[in-house]
Amino acid sequence: MKIWSSEHVFGHPWDTVIKAAMRKYPNPMNPCVVGVDVLDRSLDKQGRLHSHRLLSTEWGLPAIVKAILGTSRTLTYIEEHSVVDPVEKKMELCSTNITLTNLVSVDERLVYTPHPENPEKTVLTQEAIITVKGISLSSYLESLMANTISSNARKGRDALEWVISKLNTELEELKSTRDGIKPAMAAASTEK
Amino acid sequence: MNSVGEACTELKREYDQCFNRWFAEKFLKGDSAGDPCGQLFKRYQLCVQKAIKEKDIPIEGLEFMGPSKGKAENSS
Repeated sequence: MKIWSSEHVFGHPWDTVIKAAMRKYPNPMNPCVVGVDVLDRSLDKQGRLHSHRLLSTEWGLPAIVKAILGTSRTLTYIEEHSVVDPVEKKMELCSTNITLTNLVSVDERLVYTPHPENPEKTVLTQEAIITVKGISLSSYLESLMANTISSNARKGRDALEWVISKLNTELEELKSTRDGIKPAMAAASTEK
Repeated sequence: MNSVGEACTELKREYDQCFNRWFAEKFLKGDSAGDPCGQLFKRYQLCVQKAIKEKDIPIEGLEFMGPSKGKAENSS
């Protein structure tokens, strides 16, 4: 079993990061995620939003690897539970693979909170427990997977920055369209 | 982003648009009264559940790490 964890600070306020986190896929940094579905969603008594999602990932495994793994599946699936508390400003996300479980378990937990000293920033703490099953190279493979998770975590954070930038561009375009219309309308009305 | 069921992708897009708007403009601003996306979600769900059965995806109650799962089960 291997435990990996990290902490990262985004230079954006919590609301911005959470909006992006809910719309993380698709993005160019995580091309393997090919499908996202919401299985269930509900508000609890404290007003927190619970979401249960299914992620489909395609690793592009060569046929020989698939044969060795003994799987005819090309897709692997991940289940994800998240809870967003808009009052406490906390988003917690847990995910685990539900296929290839006879070979490996990857359980991840992410928590997004505002930075305690600067509300314009957001802290992400992330941890993963990796367990490779049933073979003697397990600790080596677990280290390898921890490195992969670490590099994927970097991609994941870059992905959020990409989504945030995209959402901001959309907002700017909306504003400039509106601002373009206003002076045109004003000019049209003064001509009358 | 596609759905796990190819036939569900359009229903998913409609639901996602509705949800993303509600989430950003209402929920995060403290107004969680009334989820306007219920109908869209139901239609989308029926499709996804069918696709999951057809593709034999092993969804069931799973034990996760993290305290929030316990809280989710305790609350209605």
